[in-house]
Amino acid sequence: MATTDTKRPSVLNTILHSLEFRMLGLALVLAIALSLLSPYFLTQRNLFNVMDQSVVIGIVAVGMTFVILTGGIDLSVGAIFGLCGVVLALALKEYPIVLAIPIAVGAGALIGLFSGVLIAIFGLAPFVVTLGVMAIGRSLSFILSGQRSLSGLPPDLQNIVYSSFLGIPANVLFLIALYAAAWLYLTYTKGGRTIYAVGSNAEAARAAGLSTTFYSILPYVVSGALSAVAVTFSLAQIMSADPLAGNQLELDAIAAVVIGGASLYGGRGSIIGTLLGVLIMVMIRNGLNLMGVSPFWQGSAIGSIIILALLAERLINWRSTR
Amino acid sequence: MTHHDTETRAAPLLSARGVSKTFGSTKALVDASIDLRPGEVCGLLGANGAGKSTLSRIISGHIAPTGGELTLGGKPFAITSTRDAFNSGIALVAQETSLAPDMNVLENIFLPDLARPGRLSFGKLRARATEILLSLGHDHALPLHAEVRTLSAAQRQLVEIAKALALDARLVIFDEPTASLSPTEVDSLFDIMAKLRDDGRALAFVSHRLEEVFAITDRVTILREGTTVAEDVATADLTQNDIIRHMVGKDIGAIYDVRRDGYAMTDAPVFEVKHLKAEPWVRDISFSVRGGEILGLGGLVGAGRSEAAEAIFGLRARQGGEIFVNGTQVHPRRPAEAVRHGLGFVAEDRRAQNIVPDLSVRENLLLAQMGRHKGFGRGFSAVREKMETLIGQLGLPADRLDQSLLNYSGGMQQKIIIARWLLIEPRILILDEPTKGVDIGTRSSIYKLLQEVADAGVAVVVISSDFEELLGICERIVVVSDGFTIADLPKDKLSEEKLTLLAAPRTSTERNTAVLRDLSDAHKGQAFWTLIDGDELICLAAVTHPDGPKTGLEPGQAVRAEDTAIPAALAARNDTFTPDADGIATALIQLKDRRGHDLGWIGLTVQADALPDIDAIKTRVARLTRPEQES
Repeated sequence: MATTDTKRPSVLNTILHSLEFRMLGLALVLAIALSLLSPYFLTQRNLFNVMDQSVVIGIVAVGMTFVILTGGIDLSVGAIFGLCGVVLALALKEYPIVLAIPIAVGAGALIGLFSGVLIAIFGLAPFVVTLGVMAIGRSLSFILSGQRSLSGLPPDLQNIVYSSFLGIPANVLFLIALYAAAWLYLTYTKGGRTIYAVGSNAEAARAAGLSTTFYSILPYVVSGALSAVAVTFSLAQIMSADPLAGNQLELDAIAAVVIGGASLYGGRGSIIGTLLGVLIMVMIRNGLNLMGVSPFWQGSAIGSIIILALLAERLINWRSTR
Repeated sequence: MTHHDTETRAAPLLSARGVSKTFGSTKALVDASIDLRPGEVCGLLGANGAGKSTLSRIISGHIAPTGGELTLGGKPFAITSTRDAFNSGIALVAQETSLAPDMNVLENIFLPDLARPGRLSFGKLRARATEILLSLGHDHALPLHAEVRTLSAAQRQLVEIAKALALDARLVIFDEPTASLSPTEVDSLFDIMAKLRDDGRALAFVSHRLEEVFAITDRVTILREGTTVAEDVATADLTQNDIIRHMVGKDIGAIYDVRRDGYAMTDAPVFEVKHLKAEPWVRDISFSVRGGEILGLGGLVGAGRSEAAEAIFGLRARQGGEIFVNGTQVHPRRPAEAVRHGLGFVAEDRRAQNIVPDLSVRENLLLAQMGRHKGFGRGFSAVREKMETLIGQLGLPADRLDQSLLNYSGGMQQKIIIARWLLIEPRILILDEPTKGVDIGTRSSIYKLLQEVADAGVAVVVISSDFEELLGICERIVVVSDGFTIADLPKDKLSEEKLTLLAAPRTSTERNTAVLRDLSDAHKGQAFWTLIDGDELICLAAVTHPDGPKTGLEPGQAVRAEDTAIPAALAARNDTFTPDADGIATALIQLKDRRGHDLGWIGLTVQADALPDIDAIKTRVARLTRPEQES
């Protein structure tokens, strides 16, 4: 038995058949369609706008990608976003910016560590653990903030968004650097590959001597910390911390990762796919806004695109396995 | 068995012609054909990976064929689901049973009925179940309310058979049903099969144990590499060699390249395991391996061998026992720690325990290296040269390293998994069923590879339920049964038959041991159960009275007749007491099953001045081989 007749595919063929390539195609088609529908879409100012709007969800989606690659899910990112925003605002009243930001990011990481330990060591279901953490996080952010927005933040905080390099705003530069670092980490390091292996077949990874427990916890820590980083950029723009901030952010982040081709069973997906997923989501929102479509319709549009993207992917895979 | 008469043969109930089946790029079946006729047992034979199980799953409707024709009662027959198979009266008694472990016997027997519309009457079902079990002659052996998880392997099989009869199956396929049964249990299974055949049902018997094939089948069909190479041949017209030639396509000797005599072995064991305990499967397992040695860990499926290996490797919690590497005690709690002590482990289930499907071949190959690597990066460059050499050695296509491992054949996957460990140069390599689902060509290259690994000084442990394989490649075999080490013997003292007897589950040998205890107590002597082969003895069990004489026989040990205290009795080998030196006398009674197979000898050694009545002892011993009169 067991005759294999796989030929070596050409490099071009590999690229053309990769998921990222199809997603890039989808993003380009969307961009062209939107530029036809709205002349304003392709202006430099609007493109910067799209990038700017991608920062918050883009940062959170990196952490979500780590988590989903292990086969988990993190529903608590929105709540951590809100809570860490409040923590940052409170810390800024006492400490300088360079100390306050690490406190907020540390708080996010600690919350992630809490979820990660419960999931990886005690074997609880990620969905349930992070659902609980979401409720606790949101509740704490209301309590700490006294149920109101905290303003009066130091004006210097704005520098992390409004300084620029070569004409590119700092927050967009940070996003690009973050994606490059995350891509390198996931592709070329022991930790990154272990995260893939855990999601693909944790038992085999463990039997091969990989530190599966550590790398099952790490993604939740990264996800929590990055939620705090994201809220830092958000606060620098809005200059006030709302305890309700980041409501339903987890859904946007999960949607971006899934549109980017990651499997919710883990092991499959890429950081480039996630970036494209983020851009596709933001472009749709932006385009619909430009065209004056009611914001109430945007949910339907984004939901349909998620389902269509998954369906197309499944149909393509069906064809290729038959 | 007068079923070979061609003139009176019934038309085939089910006929499969030119069936093929492809899984991804793997061709499990190429051109398979088989006819199954009412009132016959047809053996479906083939080596590991020949496609036996695939074909039986196709004709039982578990999977759909890629090509070919199926006819049932002469009409074209398209099965799309197991339900179709049920409705057409086809049932599969699978090797790994398809029972729901948390449900009771009754519910399992009528599981397919649960899907029928309308209300179920449990009273009626109970009556029918009792009737079915009665027809099998096992109404008392199976409590209907017992949860299936608490049953023995043989009892579960009985539930499967009852399930097939509850559907009134006209065709029953037995897929390697004897894999975890003791010789006595196999015997009673064959009685049931004969009964079903005489009822006019068509039976298929899938196996690679030739002795069983000759015992129960009327005809055989042989598969090799997915193709039928001999079809519908009368069993009586075949010899073992004919069958092997068909199965293998060449002489069997070529597969196991017998190791040359001059291999180097270290004097001290490199690896020792003492009294390993990991409940519930592993109760007391001990063995040791020297560098350069290939040790076999043999036993039936479910005997606790895999679980022992997992416990050693830190994949399973241990409750007791000591592990030594080069004389130093180690306590691996995780695989990563075991790797640090120089262990490598190829687990049994390739897909579930070894392969990481979303990583490329290269990364799968380098997975253990990556786990061992201490730095931040992947640690691939450190072993690049070694990897290239290894890839050349194994015949891996170097330009396909970035593909998915799932595109490769089972044999190539297995080689890659073994190479994963060789890359980090382990001192001890444990392989669990290393040739499961591997085609014959690749099997022999895996055996050769293992011999090369051993020649390089590595201590190799091979776990297998294929006794022929163990005898082919190992120098020494440790037999495990029901979580205990039963025997530790060099290969040349063993044969497949002896291994089968040694590996029998404790539950089936308990009765023998109980008789030995009775005899020993009643006559203040030593009672033993032993295999005799020329002047070699292998003691299966022995019970010694504290005041009784000693024969020098130890359970699980091989001994030469002249080295015991009873050489004269062993030479005479008769069922009267033969005196030996030191005033002791021994009687030996041969055990044979109903098919005349040698099950060894029961012996009783007593002081020669008080000889007991031999006839009573003979009657007691004779009852051992007729279990149904026992209860």
